[in-house]
Amino acid sequence: MMDTFLQACVNGLMIGGFYSLMGMGQNVIFGVMKIINFCHGEMLMVGMYLAYAFYTYLGIDPYLALPLVALVMFIFGAIFQHTLITPSLGTHSFTNLLFLTVGMGILLTNGAQVIFTSDYRTITTGYSQKILSFGPVTVALPRVVSFCVLIAVSIALAFFLKYTQTGKKIRAVSQNPIGAQVVGIDTKKIYMITYGLGAALAGVSGALLTLFYVINPTAGSNFGFRALIVVVVGGLGSIGGAFLAGIFLGLLETLVSLFIGPSLRTLVVFATFIVILVIRQNIILRRA
Amino acid sequence: MKRKLLYASILVLVAVMLALPNYIAKMPYILNVFILAFYMTTMSMAWNLLGGMTGQNSIGHACFMGIGAYTSVLCVVKFGMNPWASLPIAIIVTAGITALVFSQCFILRGPYFTLVTIAFAEAVRQVILNWDFAGKAIGLGMPYVRGNSWLLFSFRDKTIYYYIAFVMMVLVYALMKYIDNSKLGFALKTIREDEDVAAAIGIRPLKYKVIAVVISASVSAVAGFFYACYYRYIDPNIMLQSASVELVLPAIIGGSAFVEGPLIGGILMVSLSEYLRNTFGGILPGINLILYAVVLIVVIRFRPTGILGFFDRRGRE
Repeated sequence: MMDTFLQACVNGLMIGGFYSLMGMGQNVIFGVMKIINFCHGEMLMVGMYLAYAFYTYLGIDPYLALPLVALVMFIFGAIFQHTLITPSLGTHSFTNLLFLTVGMGILLTNGAQVIFTSDYRTITTGYSQKILSFGPVTVALPRVVSFCVLIAVSIALAFFLKYTQTGKKIRAVSQNPIGAQVVGIDTKKIYMITYGLGAALAGVSGALLTLFYVINPTAGSNFGFRALIVVVVGGLGSIGGAFLAGIFLGLLETLVSLFIGPSLRTLVVFATFIVILVIRQNIILRRA
Repeated sequence: MKRKLLYASILVLVAVMLALPNYIAKMPYILNVFILAFYMTTMSMAWNLLGGMTGQNSIGHACFMGIGAYTSVLCVVKFGMNPWASLPIAIIVTAGITALVFSQCFILRGPYFTLVTIAFAEAVRQVILNWDFAGKAIGLGMPYVRGNSWLLFSFRDKTIYYYIAFVMMVLVYALMKYIDNSKLGFALKTIREDEDVAAAIGIRPLKYKVIAVVISASVSAVAGFFYACYYRYIDPNIMLQSASVELVLPAIIGGSAFVEGPLIGGILMVSLSEYLRNTFGGILPGINLILYAVVLIVVIRFRPTGILGFFDRRGRE
């Protein structure tokens, strides 16, 4: 029993890391532009297909392809932001921005379906079947590597936002866009960088997933909404909060499936989310 | 003069719609497309009451429709009730659940509210998926009846469904038009523009938002009842998030600030998307959704008030 519990904890930690990374990307976008990016999960899926394409057509190992995937996704995100979202920002309602990203999500999913068909695909490399064991707990090697990369990326992101010039600008715009403009920050450029950064993080998460996850056009939808949960529970603009919330979510999922049953996992997660949201808002209203 | 022309054209349109089945009765597929379009339009109008008029963006409307459909099918299949008798029960159950849950959730604003609707819809879907009585993932079928029966709401003849769907759509449109011009409608629109101002002038946002969501959910339940009776089979996938999104798109494309928006958007987009699915579906699956997405993005980018925004200057900008 103790062994299964430990194993579940480790599995939860591994999957929670992905929720964290996705959540951080979503957090940066949500924090700066105050819009829900509804195609975040789909961007993860695009990242998966990019890694797949790099591996099958160019023979690049998925881990070595990470910078390439990040670059492609960054450019994609920046273009999407600059040509479609920025012009709709501010003047028009929140509804339109929401459905703009929803539309992009539909486009990406069905575009992937047209290009790659809806077959399930996997990447198999020489080391993808290797198993590591730590006492009673066994983990596949790619999961461990992915988790380490993921932690490194998270720390790098936190440092980037905290200490670099661009990171500081991003935080300034997220606190007060008008004030930021007044002190001479080019907000449109920051919007582009922010969205590109979010897209790149989603793409990297996708690429890290490819070695032990099936690739298909709807693979991202699971992660997309969980990223939003992470943002809301972890707190806006807080990278550390997003990290903890992601790990918490992963652990919650695996432990619920261990103790209550795997089929009730999603139900418990979503119900908990609603309750947390409502209680938190009540506390905020009480305080105000 | 302009008004007269408008009424005349509406009359002609209605007459054409009523006469249409006489000419296409031999083509069940075309009839099916029209029925689907009417159904989607009804759902889209239901969404628009909450989303367009009150400004609360829900991406969980398929679940209201699903609760309605499931309630009526359970009543018919498990309790042996008449379908007509199950309709009011479906409406009451859907409205009750919605009022209960959303009276708590409406303290959340903007994006947070949208998140709750998504989580709520998914939670309901998961409940059905885990509930033996409701058929789990296999779904439930309504009993088939030979021939046409008004009593059991089952027809061999698709033209009858066509008329029922058409009447449903027109009635819902009339209801929305009525609300739009009533005191309730003005209250809802005030809340959309500014909740704090609404509260300041004596409109209690919470109360009116709950009224809006209950009406919206009840209409969705009626549409769900129709869906269950038409397809004779339902499963939890009718409540997927993608289904919720799909029924919002006509309203956004048509123009969510207008009562007529979902009407135009629904009939235009559903027929176009079904035509594409039929023609290219074999070679390029998903092509109809790509078209949907492209039209949506183009409309939002260049005409944020929707297709109807072209004809009307008093948009929501």
